[in-house]
Amino acid sequence: MMTFIPPRLRKPAVYALAGVLFAAAWLVRGGPLWWVSIMAVTGTAAGTVRLYRLGGTDTDEGARAGSRADERQQLIGLRSRALACNLAAVASFIGLTAAIAVRGTWGWPFLVTFLITGYGYLLGLGNYGVAEEGTPDDADTGRPARSPVSS
Amino acid sequence: MALNEGRGHLRASHADREQAIEVLKAAFAQEQLDKAEFETRAGQALASRTYAELAAVTADIPARLTAGQPRRTPGRLREQRIQREMSQAELAEALGVSRQTVTLIETGRYLPSLPLAFAIARFFDLTVNKMFAPAEQEAGTPPEATKQADACTVAAWHVHPTA
Repeated sequence: MMTFIPPRLRKPAVYALAGVLFAAAWLVRGGPLWWVSIMAVTGTAAGTVRLYRLGGTDTDEGARAGSRADERQQLIGLRSRALACNLAAVASFIGLTAAIAVRGTWGWPFLVTFLITGYGYLLGLGNYGVAEEGTPDDADTGRPARSPVSS
Repeated sequence: MALNEGRGHLRASHADREQAIEVLKAAFAQEQLDKAEFETRAGQALASRTYAELAAVTADIPARLTAGQPRRTPGRLREQRIQREMSQAELAEALGVSRQTVTLIETGRYLPSLPLAFAIARFFDLTVNKMFAPAEQEAGTPPEATKQADACTVAAWHVHPTA
């Protein structure tokens, strides 16, 4: 579906959709805080415009926001997400440990986050790693296999 | 700077200014420039807009210092681009990458993937080895070894075409 949307509009569109869903949740919830949904819609609109404008700039961030990132910029995004996940895992571990120490009942969100990041890491290893050992080069040539560290 | 001969009117990049400052640093380290002179010239180098202005800053520094600087670039992408009178933006568009990526490859701060390295080499009608091998390595490498390195690179490309 995304391919039908012009590249520069893709990320703003996803951002706008997420913001609208968030606003809708506050509206459906009702009660005295219904006005939060209006603030959410306003903030989403401003953020969407900002993201669209950022997508037109000649920077790494602009290229990513405009969905026209080359291999280096994609790598930057990948590393940034890896860093974010690492931080989430460390923060959730600290939160969980603190909750255990003070016998707090508020520790379960940290546990869930920690499990999700850990499971996501294992899932990544399973998806992108190669389980087989592979064939040593020497096995193809008929020469006896030799350890690269032995002389 | 031999690289800049005949194209003094062209605009210098930040990498060119950095290279000139490296030359000035070397001259300062060898006491060919005093501190005040070094600071003045470094300021001039940073303010230079064209290759001619930049060359004037290092004109009286011995050639061995200007030519003997360790190359920061992994290859001769910048030389090839300038020979074809292309801007970084034009080359980036032709290769399908960003201008920033071209800048970083030229200054040796980013090593391109194998497909991109092949695309760059193909664009300039050179082999990957000719394009990206460090100058000192290429100078000391016999032609047969260069051919072997090229063959290995091509073989790797066939094994992992999407790597």
